[in-house]
Formats: sequence, C-alpha cells, structure tokens
Amino acid sequence: MSAGVDLKDFLAGFLAEAEDHLTQVNGNLLAVEDSLSRKEASPRAVRDLFRSMHTIKGLSGMVGIEPIVDISHAMETLLRNADNAGGRLSADALDLLMKGAAAIEERVRSLGRGNPAKPASKPLLDSFGALEVEVGGVGTRVEASLELDATLVAKLTPAELEHIKTGVAAHKRALRVDFTPSPTRTDDLNITSVRERVSKVAEIVRVLPISVAETASAPGGLSFVLLVVTDGDDATLAAAAGAAPEAVVPLTRADTPPPEVFAEEEPDEADAASGARGNFVRVDVARLDDSLEALSALVVNRFKLVRSMGELSSRGADVRELAVIVAESGRQIRELRSAIMRMRMVSVRSLLERVPLLVRGLGRATKKSVQLAMNTGDAALDKSVAERVFPAIVHLIRNAVDHGIESPSVRRAMGKSEEGTIRITAHQRSNSQLELVIEDDGRGMNRKEVAQRARAPVPKNDIQLLDLITRSGVSTAEKVTTTSGRGLGMDIVKRVVVAELGGELVLETTENKGTVFRLRIPLSITIVDAFTFLCGGERFVTPVAAIEEIVDVDAARVVKVPRSRRGRETKLIERRGQAVPLFSLDDMFGLTSSTTLDVARKALVVRRRADLLAFEVERMLGQQEVVVRPLADPLVRVAGVSGATDLGDGKPTLVVDLATLGDSLLAAREAST
Amino acid sequence: MTEPEITAAPEERTTPVAETAPRLHVLFKVADADYVVSAVDVLQMESFTGATRVPGTPSFVRGLVQIRGRVVPVVDLRERFGLEPVPPTLDSRIIVLAQGDRVVGLLVDSAREVVQIAPGDLKAPPDVLMGESESFVKSVARVGNRLLMLLDVQRIIGEEQIHGK
Repeated sequence: MSAGVDLKDFLAGFLAEAEDHLTQVNGNLLAVEDSLSRKEASPRAVRDLFRSMHTIKGLSGMVGIEPIVDISHAMETLLRNADNAGGRLSADALDLLMKGAAAIEERVRSLGRGNPAKPASKPLLDSFGALEVEVGGVGTRVEASLELDATLVAKLTPAELEHIKTGVAAHKRALRVDFTPSPTRTDDLNITSVRERVSKVAEIVRVLPISVAETASAPGGLSFVLLVVTDGDDATLAAAAGAAPEAVVPLTRADTPPPEVFAEEEPDEADAASGARGNFVRVDVARLDDSLEALSALVVNRFKLVRSMGELSSRGADVRELAVIVAESGRQIRELRSAIMRMRMVSVRSLLERVPLLVRGLGRATKKSVQLAMNTGDAALDKSVAERVFPAIVHLIRNAVDHGIESPSVRRAMGKSEEGTIRITAHQRSNSQLELVIEDDGRGMNRKEVAQRARAPVPKNDIQLLDLITRSGVSTAEKVTTTSGRGLGMDIVKRVVVAELGGELVLETTENKGTVFRLRIPLSITIVDAFTFLCGGERFVTPVAAIEEIVDVDAARVVKVPRSRRGRETKLIERRGQAVPLFSLDDMFGLTSSTTLDVARKALVVRRRADLLAFEVERMLGQQEVVVRPLADPLVRVAGVSGATDLGDGKPTLVVDLATLGDSLLAAREAST
Repeated sequence: MTEPEITAAPEERTTPVAETAPRLHVLFKVADADYVVSAVDVLQMESFTGATRVPGTPSFVRGLVQIRGRVVPVVDLRERFGLEPVPPTLDSRIIVLAQGDRVVGLLVDSAREVVQIAPGDLKAPPDVLMGESESFVKSVARVGNRLLMLLDVQRIIGEEQIHGK
C-alpha cells in the first residue's frame, strides 16, 4: 500500500512540472508561428522547445508514462533536426508539434483526474516519422554576410548562425566581446557572473572559450569570446562584460585573426536550469483551501468569543481588558486572512495564457484570420474566481471568432482589414473589482435577427438584447458550427458572472462595427463584509459591497401606487428627491412579518444599472465579516440566495444576493410593460 | 477538515464484493413503513434540531443544516412522499448520504437498525407500489416478516424532479 501512495505523490509532482513545461511549450510554439508568419527562423524558441520536450520525456520516463515518452520523443527528434537546420520549422511541422503538445496535455489532464494515459496514437507518431525537415544551405549564407572568422564559425551550429543572422535582419547588431578571467581582477567577475550580466543587456548566442598567450592579465592562458545580438550600445555591453568599450567588436566587419579556439563548452543545460526558476514554491490549491478552512473556523470562533463577552458584560462583569484582546485577535485574523488571500491570487496574465492558442485554433477551424491583442496589466484575482470565470471567457471568445468576426472575403468587401481583431483587456477597478473586456471588430449583433430566432419581441436596446441572448436555450448562431452552438451557453456565462460571482455583465454592440462584453467581477469571494438583518423573524446576511445605502422607512411617507390590472401593489419611498420602489423582503421570501407597520423599519438600497431598488427589512442587526459557503446543490440553488454562512451558532444563515433579486424584479417589470 | 466518513465511503464502494454476498443497509421509518438505503452511501446520521429554510425551494426541501462545517440540504421524506407532516421528535434523524459529488440529508421519523440484505433478495416492487410512491422505491426485500423498501435516492433528490414541478 505504501508503494502506491509514493507513486501518487510522485505523479502529482510530475503533473505539476509537466504542466509548467507545457505552458512554456505552448508559448514557444506561438513564438515560432509568429516568426514563421514573418518568414523568419526562430532559433531561440526552437532550442527552448527542444529542451522542454527533452525534460518532459525524461520526467515521464521516470514515472513510467510511456505514451507521453513516445510523443515527446517524436517531438524532440523533430525539434533537434529543426535546431540543426538553424531553427527553421515548416508550417506542417509546427502544426504537428501543436498536435503533439495537445496530445500530451490531454494525457496529463487525464492522469490528473486519476485515469490512465491513453497510448500515443499511431497516425500521430507516423506523421512525425514521415515529416522531412529541410536542412542545409543556411550556414553558408550566413558566413557570406557575416565576416566572422572561419575558426569561430566552424564552432557555431547552424542554429546559432541563424540566430545572429535573424538578429542582424531585425536591425540589431551582432557583437563580440572578450572576457579574460583572472584572480587579480579588481571587479571580482568570473565567466558565470559575466554571462549573467551580459544576458541582461544582450542575447547571448554563444560563449566560446579560447586559448590565449599566458600574460599577467591572463594567468590561465584562457579567455572567453561572447558572441551576442543586441540593440544596446557598446558601452553598456562592455560594462556588463567588465571590458573597455573598445573591446567590443562588431561581427559585421572584417576581424583580426583570433587565436586558436581552445575547447568546446557545453553550458546550456545548467544555464537553463538555474536561470529559468525564480524563488517560488508550488502549492496545491487544496492546501490553501485547507488553511482558509482553518481560518474560517477561527473567524467563527471569534464570533463566539465576542458573543460570550457580550453576555459577560451584560451580567455586569468588567470586560475592558478582554475587549482589547478580542479586538487585537480580530486584527490578527484580518492580517492572516489577507496573507492567505494573497497566496491564492493568480495573475490575469497567467489565467489567459492559453487564450492565444485557443484563438489560433478557432481561426484555423473557421478559416478566418484573427489577430489577438491582450492587455492584462498586472491585475490578479482569486484562484476560485479565476477558475469560475475562465469558461465564460472561453465562451465569449469562441462566440467572437465564430459569430463576430467575418470571413476574410466578407471583410474585404466591407472595406475592413481582412484580419479581424479580438481585444482582451483587464484592469482592476477601485472597489475590489476586476473589469475584463472582450471586444471584437466583427459584424455585431442584429437585434431583429436575434429576436426572430428567439421568437421574441425586438429588443429596444443592448440591455434588453443581453437579457434575450442570456435566456436559456437561445442561441445567437444561425447554425450550429463545429466550434460554437454547443456546450456552455450565454445563459451560463450570465449565471457565472452575475449569480455565482455577484458581478455584472454588460453588452455593447454596433452592427458591422463589433461587439464588446464587459465582465465586472469581484477579485475574491470567500470572505465578505456583510450586514446582518432580521426578516420575518429570521436572520439573514447580505454583502456590504452590493448595498448603496441603508435608509429609514417612514411608514407615513411611503407612497402606495395604485395597482395595475394585474400584479401587486407597488410602494415608493423618496430618497434625495428620487422615487425609489420599495419591496418587502418578508413578502418576497414568503415569510410572515412579525412587527407591525408603525415600527420604524429600514430598507437596503441597491443599484442595478440606472435603477435604485429598496428592500424593506424588519431590523438591522449589525455588520461583520462572514465566510460565505456557496450553495452548489441543485435542491437549494435559487435566485437571490448566494450561499450560507455560520454566525457562530452552528446553524446556517442565508446570504441574500439583493443584486440578483433586483435583476429578477427588473426583468419581471420589463416583461409586464 | 476532512470527515473520515466522507473519505471512507468511496473507498468502501470500490472494494470488490462477490455479487451474492449480503450487503449492509441502513433501515429507517417514515410513517410506520420500513425503508432501507445502502450503508455504503451513508456518511453519518444526526439527530434533527431544525433547519434553515431556503425561500423559493420546493416544500419537500426542509432547509439547510450544518454538519461538521459542511452545509447540507435536507429533504423531508414525509413531505416528499406526500404524507401528512408531523413535528420532529427526539427520534427524528437526518441520514446524510453521498450521491456522486453531492451530499444530501434525508429527514426520517427514526433510524435505529442496520440489516444485511443479499442482492438476490431484492425484488422489483409490486406494480401497486410503483404508482403510489412515484416510483421512489427501487426494489423491495422481505427480511423476516418485514417488507423493506430500498429507496431510489437519485430519484428523490434528482435535479429533473425538482425543476419539473
């Protein structure tokens, strides 16, 4: 039994690391594609890809996942040939590599779910075998254009020569700077530190050790030639290499004959290993959840403490000292909480890491030309929110490519550029909210057409249009295509954003100009500041963030609007000269009000779009931080109740979502007019 | 924070058991009739001290209870079976069941016994029962002189049943 557990632990580590490498692989594959579209080689990306695949192969061999070994071996072989060919990959080879990476990803995910990895598909492996990589011709061309010494050139691989050539083609300068190590150097530099410093100001193509005459400044008879590509100036490079500016020599000019090359150096592996890793610890989210769970217990316990302190005080005990301690513990809990919450934050950039691949795949599947522009800044959000919102983002992107962006010929006919653009931006709003904008420059939505397909009245504005397309069962697609019209629908997008996350979804669309979706979501959802109140004799809580204001309800000044033919009586209260509809939560929840109308009651005011709505409650009890547990079970998933919390009595207290309640009231009102 | 019962249940389920070996069932009463559920699905049994009602849910959803830090919805079986409601007593129990990734409680009049039932002893319910209980009964077994009805928990808590009404 213990052996089984060991393997499990091992596997978890493998999966985490494999995912890391796959993320890098996907990024590099996209970089290669980008270079390919400009008809350039991408020696650096190809070399990184080769290393990643080599590592994945080794790791999966260690844990005995043969299917992944097979696929990564085929990919590695292809990449090695490409590296020898100067980092050139054909479009076919790139496609195949992407398929291979996807196949490995699929198996990693399958293993993550506890299922075995499927054997590598034979057709896939065969196509790797069948693919010929164009080799040759590259090296000689570089030699002709670069007047680099032949003895040095002989030491360079075609990939490295190509690297220099691409750099020059990109208007960078190819330079050589020499470094001679010596114990008498005053700057205390060695080749490792020089390499590190130079790599910050230039791309190092190769470091070649050469033998030089033994002198006082070169006691070892050894020197290093650093061949770099950079757009920086000589002085910066010289300073980084600990050399005089004159020591920097351009490679594009004839050179003095260099001394004989000393030895081959193979520093690449160690370099990659030490340079790529930062000071990070990977933590399973479940462990963070555990600590959050423990913290929740601490928060609940503090409620109990406060409550019993209140009881003590009401019996006349002196609790001043105790009160100070309790207040201090409250502060400590808040600090601990924010520390844990910070650990749970993931950057929007890493959340959207796979989006470029997605867009590329969708573009290919639909034969549309799509360009992706992402600007995510350094916004971050809680892992649990990120996981919930990601499928919604994917759905909106799918829709944008599938239904938004027109085919290249249509776009040309309309005078648009053939290439459509999807723009994704994220920025943090002040009130602990993130705004994510997904924008396309496609055909936009036609209200009449959508109404026709949904067999509904034509929406008067974008708000009504959004209501219509987020109704369950309504598809915006004329026909179901291979990529859209199945799976998650717009109704689910709205449910995730509005009901589950307590956020807001906004649509702006202009025919022939494009469509914009704005998702405003909270950065985290686990612990919230909430008001507690009584309603129909029962306690409820509601997040403070959703409440615009708490107002007194003066029964004498409530205006009763005569009821329409059907529907219930509407009440209005005045707030700063504005009439605000007043709803009784007792009635809405089917609870019997336990107090008479002449007792001063309060109302919670929420804002939905331009409207204000007031919800009358029996009595406000206070404000405190609560741990919200989402109610996931279908038995208790109802609009207006977003979760449950424990106020310290060991019984669930419902968390009321007044925003969603307000939405459903507004929707009902719009439907009846 | 993991409850041992919850983690233990799925493992037990995967333990290979011969098809004919008797299996443990939890026996409980609702309005004097005897029902059973497979003990493998039962996470724990709790006495009933009230539940938090959730507005807008069907009448048979008694509400939410908190059991070891977990919030569990409770289905009132009397209400679900369309029987006359009675106030809870000291004997009232919540049987907490795992169904897939859901955890749901059933409120019953009492639950005091476990019984071994061989799979071969479970027979299809008589037609007359089918109509009456909306086929909440999966099969019946005669143990001694008692008729035990094996509940179809999926049907009782199933999503389509909730929204169908």
